[in-house]
Amino acid sequence: MGVSSLFQNYPSENGFYDEMYNGSSIRLPYQRLYEFLKNVPVEELTQKEEMARRLFMSQGVTFTVYSSGEGIEKIFPFDVIPRIITAEEWSYIESGIKQRLKALNHFLNDIYSNQFIIKDKIVPIDMIYSCEHYLREMHNLKVPHDIFVHISGIDIIRDLDGTFYVLEDNLRTPSGVSYMLENREITKRIFPDLLPHNAVRTVTNYPQLLHKNLAALSPRHNSNPNIVMLTPGIYNSAYFEHSTLARLMGIELVEGRDLVVENHRVFMKTTEGLQRVDVIYRRVDDEYLDPLVFNPDSMLGVAGLMSAYRKGHVAIVNAPGNGVADDKAIYIYVPDMIKYYLNEEPILKNVPTYKMEDASERKYVFEHMDKMVIKKTNASGGYGMIIGNAATEEEMEDYKKAVLEDPRQFIAQPIISLSAAPCFINGKLQPRRIDLRPFALFGPSGIEIVPGGLTRVALKEGSLVVNSSQGGGSKDTWVLNI
Amino acid sequence: MLSRVANSLYWMSRYMERCDGILRLLRVNYAYSQDEFEKFSWRPVLMIFSEIPPEEMERIKYEGRKVLQFMVTDKLNMNSVFCLISKSRENARSVQDNVTKELWQCLNDYYHKVREEGIAVSLQNNDPISVIDDLVEQGMHYYGICEITMARGEGYYFMNIGKYLERAMQSVDILNVKFSELNYSLEERSDPTYWKYLLLSISGYEVFLKSYRSALDSRNILHQIVWNEHFPRSIIYSVKRLRQSFETLKTDRNSEAYKSLSFMIGKLESHIRYTDIKDLEAMGLKDYLQQIKKELLAIGNAFNHYYFAFN
Repeated sequence: MGVSSLFQNYPSENGFYDEMYNGSSIRLPYQRLYEFLKNVPVEELTQKEEMARRLFMSQGVTFTVYSSGEGIEKIFPFDVIPRIITAEEWSYIESGIKQRLKALNHFLNDIYSNQFIIKDKIVPIDMIYSCEHYLREMHNLKVPHDIFVHISGIDIIRDLDGTFYVLEDNLRTPSGVSYMLENREITKRIFPDLLPHNAVRTVTNYPQLLHKNLAALSPRHNSNPNIVMLTPGIYNSAYFEHSTLARLMGIELVEGRDLVVENHRVFMKTTEGLQRVDVIYRRVDDEYLDPLVFNPDSMLGVAGLMSAYRKGHVAIVNAPGNGVADDKAIYIYVPDMIKYYLNEEPILKNVPTYKMEDASERKYVFEHMDKMVIKKTNASGGYGMIIGNAATEEEMEDYKKAVLEDPRQFIAQPIISLSAAPCFINGKLQPRRIDLRPFALFGPSGIEIVPGGLTRVALKEGSLVVNSSQGGGSKDTWVLNI
Repeated sequence: MLSRVANSLYWMSRYMERCDGILRLLRVNYAYSQDEFEKFSWRPVLMIFSEIPPEEMERIKYEGRKVLQFMVTDKLNMNSVFCLISKSRENARSVQDNVTKELWQCLNDYYHKVREEGIAVSLQNNDPISVIDDLVEQGMHYYGICEITMARGEGYYFMNIGKYLERAMQSVDILNVKFSELNYSLEERSDPTYWKYLLLSISGYEVFLKSYRSALDSRNILHQIVWNEHFPRSIIYSVKRLRQSFETLKTDRNSEAYKSLSFMIGKLESHIRYTDIKDLEAMGLKDYLQQIKKELLAIGNAFNHYYFAFN
């Protein structure tokens, strides 16, 4: 058999950027993979897909959906065909993200202290105070090493001509990094030798890098600080990620009820009594961190935590209050921040974005609604948005009403035709839309990004929504060394 | 170690031990039931391992297949294998970073296995022993992986404490139920099959043949299950291993807790060790077993109080 039937009927003309196929031939970075795949019978690929599914299930790389009192284990769909990024593309993305994060971190330091950027009228004051994630409690709080965004996930997409754009910044508690690590482990199993053959750069040292950064934040100057990971618990959909990272870093995984604050210091309750905690990598949202300061009904947090933080007795990662910087309306100002704080031109572009608060921009958006995506500024996970060309008249009218009620809470962007990558679906390769979330670590010694990230896939044909809550899956992401 | 983590490891281990005990008992009793001409009563099994309401007990006690379903796949019976494995895994899941990846995967596999629909079907229509053997084997993987991969730290010893406490309680319960059928008399009934199956159900038959070289006499049976230090399911063996695991927890930081528990465990071990069959006959078997059970429960509560209380 010559070329495997895998590639039969692969669409050559789509109206989007295809990562593998340029319309007439296979793009250079994908050629080795193509040479390999064309000799793999479809049945074998199906078996590999099944093997991947079994490995995920058996390793408990799952999230639990609770219905009628019983938990059902689900796996995050994994597509076996990797997504490839060249060394050149990567260095561009990497420098763009580093630049962006530097500016965003300056912004957070500034906004919670002198607010020069407001005084200089770069960002309007209303934008800040109307953001529900802006935390007054963080004002004039000196965070260790002036770092707010220790861990971030920057969502990158590609438009029709292959240009990279930043779609959104995730600076609060971005998730998905465990899938980056697990997807790679699965690829090692289902495609032996393929990774070295393609000179793929490794992602496995992410936990060590993160651990190094966390340890550097310890307020006590001892060689062995107590670092813990704070999780909302096993019912959280990202629990697998919390336990995996804790295990890979060798730190304690704690819940709010394991911690107690005494005399503005945080302790964990152990079999040998109370033990001081120095650094908390929390995966609990700001709102639930401390019932004395934020949501008083929270059972997930620790009473008194913010006072210990304010006194500098414990480090919290990420810093509370980052939501003001990854708000979708503040996003509009990030290129200006880069110019303002760094005096540089932005490397990575923003997607053109309209403020619904601005009457003329709003008018323009409403007139061209079929070409627009309108989003809530504080929502995530693909919720609270409407895609113009896929919505009914009625849905659009309802959405318009919601926008008019509180325009500050909405922004609009032209529908971006996300790039697509080949996915193995129903026994053949089919293009599906993707994005990329690299994970950046900002420590006292600078910003580091492991070469790779999470490539999310909209598995439904024609869909542009990659979020896992909306039927998205993921791929292993290869950054080549050449 | 976090108190919550210690608590979860302890219960993970207790549930696994209980599950193993149940499966072995079911296997042997099913085999036994195939030898009986008369109606075979599952009452003792149900008494030891479930809190079944009396009317329900009357309804199913002669129905082997129903009992197997109740004890293996029933989702409402808190002590069914299904529920025990689910709880054990749930505990492991909440402390995943404190058990090895292999151990977690093994429990996770067990969890998925016990949820397979084929199990209920086979228990009902095919050979139940194949099903039970398959489950027991998964449990053996668990034990092997614990021994081979778990670091000899606090976590491992809390797991052992759970395991041996559970095992000691099981052995007491089994003796209690089996001898209650004979009104706690050591003289009555010398039907060898009765004792043979009791020993088989706790993997003690071969040990017995080698150690006692005599008829299946109730005094020897009692000796093996209470005092035989070479028999890994005997009460004395379980309590001794419990003490040894506990002793590793001694540090400067928890001397009050350590002292209290050390006293309780030491007292129980001596109490068993320095009683012989004559003392026991004088005291009455029923009271003796009840006393041991009471002390085991008190030890469990003391662990809760001193080591696991995190509220």
